[in-house]
Amino acid sequence: MSWALGVAADHPVLLVAVPLLFAALCPIWAMWKRSACFPWAMAGMSVTAFLAWSLIGDVSPRRALTYNLSGWRPPWGIQIRIDYVGLLMVCIITAVGLLIVLYSWRYVEHDLKPERVPYYYTLLLLIMTAMIGFSVTGDLFNMFVMMEIFSITSYALVAISGMKEAVRAAFKYLLMGATSSLTVLLAIAFLYSATGSLNMLDISLQLKSTSYVQVAAVALILFVVGFSVKAALFPVHVWLPDAHSIAPSPVSALLSALVIKMGIIGLFRVFFTVYGPGFAARSGTWNGVIDVVSWLAVASILVGAALAIIQRDFKVMIAYSSIVHIGYILLGLTVLSGNGTVGGLFDILAHAMGKGCFFMVAGIMIYKGNRRQIHELRGVGRTMPVTAWAFTIAALSIVGIPPTAGFMAKFYILWGCIQRGKYHFVVLALIGSLLTAVYCFRVVYYMFFTGARRPDARLDEGPVTMYAPAALLAAGTVFFGIFANLLIPSLTAAARLVLAR
Amino acid sequence: MNFSRMFHNLNYVVSVLLFLIGLYAVTVKPNLIKKLIGLNIMETSVFLFIVSIGMVESGQAPIVTEGVKTSQMVNPIPQALILTGIVVAVSTTAVALSLCLRLHERYGTLNSDEILASITDVSQLGRPWEEF
Amino acid sequence: MSRQTSSVLPVIIVFAPWLALAGAAAWGRSRPRLAKAFYVGSTVLALGLILPLYGRALDGVVTKQHLVEVVTGISISFRIDTLGFYFAILLSFLWLLATIFSLGYIHERETRYYCFLALNLSFCLGVAFSANMFTLFIFYELMSLCTYPLIIHDETEQARRAGLKYLVYSISAGAVILAGVVLQFFYGGTLEFTGHATLTMADASKSVLLVIFSIYMLGFGVKACIMPLHGWVPDAHPAAPAPASALLSGVILKIGAFGIIRVLFDVFGIRQLRVLGVSLPMLYVASFTIIVGSLFAITQTDLKRRLAYSSVAQVSYIILGLFLLAPDGAMGGLLQVANHAFMKATLFLCSGIIIHETGKRDVRQLEGTGSKLPLTMMAFSVAALGMMGVPATAGFITKWELGVGCVQAHRPYFIAVLLISSLLNAVYFLPIIYAAYFKEGSAGERLRPETKPTMLVPVLITGAFVLILGIFVTVPGLPYSLVKVIVSAVF
Repeated sequence: MSWALGVAADHPVLLVAVPLLFAALCPIWAMWKRSACFPWAMAGMSVTAFLAWSLIGDVSPRRALTYNLSGWRPPWGIQIRIDYVGLLMVCIITAVGLLIVLYSWRYVEHDLKPERVPYYYTLLLLIMTAMIGFSVTGDLFNMFVMMEIFSITSYALVAISGMKEAVRAAFKYLLMGATSSLTVLLAIAFLYSATGSLNMLDISLQLKSTSYVQVAAVALILFVVGFSVKAALFPVHVWLPDAHSIAPSPVSALLSALVIKMGIIGLFRVFFTVYGPGFAARSGTWNGVIDVVSWLAVASILVGAALAIIQRDFKVMIAYSSIVHIGYILLGLTVLSGNGTVGGLFDILAHAMGKGCFFMVAGIMIYKGNRRQIHELRGVGRTMPVTAWAFTIAALSIVGIPPTAGFMAKFYILWGCIQRGKYHFVVLALIGSLLTAVYCFRVVYYMFFTGARRPDARLDEGPVTMYAPAALLAAGTVFFGIFANLLIPSLTAAARLVLAR
Repeated sequence: MNFSRMFHNLNYVVSVLLFLIGLYAVTVKPNLIKKLIGLNIMETSVFLFIVSIGMVESGQAPIVTEGVKTSQMVNPIPQALILTGIVVAVSTTAVALSLCLRLHERYGTLNSDEILASITDVSQLGRPWEEF
Repeated sequence: MSRQTSSVLPVIIVFAPWLALAGAAAWGRSRPRLAKAFYVGSTVLALGLILPLYGRALDGVVTKQHLVEVVTGISISFRIDTLGFYFAILLSFLWLLATIFSLGYIHERETRYYCFLALNLSFCLGVAFSANMFTLFIFYELMSLCTYPLIIHDETEQARRAGLKYLVYSISAGAVILAGVVLQFFYGGTLEFTGHATLTMADASKSVLLVIFSIYMLGFGVKACIMPLHGWVPDAHPAAPAPASALLSGVILKIGAFGIIRVLFDVFGIRQLRVLGVSLPMLYVASFTIIVGSLFAITQTDLKRRLAYSSVAQVSYIILGLFLLAPDGAMGGLLQVANHAFMKATLFLCSGIIIHETGKRDVRQLEGTGSKLPLTMMAFSVAALGMMGVPATAGFITKWELGVGCVQAHRPYFIAVLLISSLLNAVYFLPIIYAAYFKEGSAGERLRPETKPTMLVPVLITGAFVLILGIFVTVPGLPYSLVKVIVSAVF
């Protein structure tokens, strides 16, 4: 019984430790039997997901769960601090992650050399570990370490197929990613020299009285530059279309649905947890940076959508679409009104589901008949109805058509913009969603409305472990579109707290 | 310009210079290995910066040296951070070098311009307005 | 009057047409005839569920059903009031006729066609029964998207282009309406329909109200094809199969008008609109649309394209009537919803039969149709006379009420618009009738059978209704009695 109590007390750290353990043991498991890696990874993700979801009742916007590593108290030791936003992220990561692992099973069998499969699952578990750690840590340097882990694993995952295009994309990603990581590290060093602390809450207290305002302001700019690259904000998005389109599809889904969100969470933590609107009273830099980011976000929406429209390659188009949604999310987070923040956070969820589904569908198209170009999707609606409908529903969410989660997110982002009187952003965001509609419905058009009707057309779906996760994600977008009230009140409370700091 | 103050903060000036040199190499040099070297120079500059902020004039190592006053101690946290940072940097470099090996295998060159030139039809762009 | 009851009935009605999807999923491929029974059956079911509500609608009873609260203050909920009932009964009846007509007309891609037809009915009913702007917007958007597969049903080059144009127009309109909904919620604090103004001068300044009003007009005006926004209509109608164009013209354009009616009655309120001074500009826009739309119709040679432009002009009668902001004007506008629906459905279904049986689409080649297809052409002629406003047809009632409304609103010169429009209608409809019956070479053998009974019967029913609505105007149960209840509640 005391053992169970001990586990319960260590619950927050288990979130990180369990997937790490599973990842470390995965290659050993593979020595015994290579095909055992998939169930092992499934088990690891399931346990992690269970651990994450069992926390749902314990965390509220006003109450965070904390855990001091090795018992060192906060300003000195590393603290794990699961607040509401962190928990939201962890739940999204584990839920989408679980589906991605399931989806990977048949895909990597088909796509990767057998000897690489164990490494694939190891990297998958490792990247989950790092993302969970990144979301829940309360310590800046620990955040940097977690960021490096998921960055390095994602370089490896992009290159894992060994194709020459993939290696090139991975190297490009690495150069930009590593440089941006160093920028973040430099920012942490600046902030440490100004405040003498690494704990985020402690730093935010110190910043209220520090005399090194200039140093902190420079650090803020460095943070934004660094995390913008991770989030693929325009104009530092150039690595994303290559890396996301050439990676194996489950990896693309993972990168687009989750990994780029880490850049956003990094920006969110820096803007609101570390500096906070209170810093605006001390330095004009905070407001200036926020303004710049919101304009860049709008630029991302428009440029990303315009580039997505002219693509012929299905996955490249989806990759550009991610840039569009990064723009929406950051626009919501930087309009500095409660509803905008709610919209931004909600869009993280909506986009994770929608874009995960997109890449899974793209993967199924590659798995069945190596269809990579949009015009090759002719008539897929008849032969693969479940897959095509999953894509269509996810597309509704990505475009922002009710009743889907993407619509609720867009609604709140627009509401936030109107609240702050930023009508120009409303207009530009709506134009962006029109462009989004063009590139999404173009695919739907090819799937359903082209191709001669052949009487011999038979159902030809991919494996159930591939289309079921895609369909589940699509269903999720509708579920959260209708039952948005499950999240919105808490998100509103969280946003209010964040903006009051 | 106050040179004495600049010399006093020589560590900062040097690390910023190194960072810029590294950034230059990463962005401008076509050779991938040189880009990696640039990346490593940047890493080193950041490490140098972090270590130097924990430095105390004629300071002593804490814990291992007996009977040091707290005001005399060198701050150990930056050094701990750097140890972790070096590990991270080494693994990044390792991944990058292995990617370089693969690139050399696949493309037969490590010159980024030549690699780019060897790629045909990177972007087959469409005219969606004619396709609907 | 404001008696309220709660019931799950609205939810059941809105989702009743989904039965067709179940039928399609189960037997769409293996037993198409059984599946067709489901398609028609689901429409009958919806109509059968709506009909018994008639008594309550006449009494002005409001039935509400809260479905799910999406976020605090915004919910998806249904509300059956007299206005909603009026639209619902009208559209489900027309839907039934069009579905029956389709049985004979549609030969390809049947499963997709009927499924989207049923989905469209479901979403149109959702619009009619929505209790707030948010619900209305959701169903409106879904309805817009589900119309797309109907328009490009034939998958020809022409249909493809029409479909793209339609998508661009309706998605832009959706975005504009969304901006309006967000603004209304931000300033007014509520999106509910209560039968009186919910967004008043107390909530926002006059200029803000005008902006929100214009945004709504821009958004809903695309579906209601107010003149600069009508571009998709003349392309979409000829491209779609005839029963789908009948529904497009008869119902879906009216759903756009329904949105405008809700904005008038339940968002701004008649009294406030008088203060805002939007009446006259909107009347000018509507008059412009009526006259220019009719002029465009004259220049068209494709039968369905001509009918489409005629719809552009006729739907603006509704706008004209409403923005007179006088009781009789509103009566005329609301009556036009039903009257035009029956007239235009007749015309489009007839054109479907003509194209199906003779293969001719050009209005200059219709000689002899009168003797080949006597019953069809009879229905066509009745409806065409109705469009001109000949007494004893439905069109006359509209014009009469609108004329009285013009006088009531002290704007008698708008009667001129009605007269000019009647004249122009005559100019583009009479040559067709002339060619069909009297032109040289018109003597021909009657086709036996004239056409399939599933196509002929719906046409005869809608044609009969054009006369019934023009003669037995005040019989309780026909639109007049319902419209009277709606208007007396608002004014």
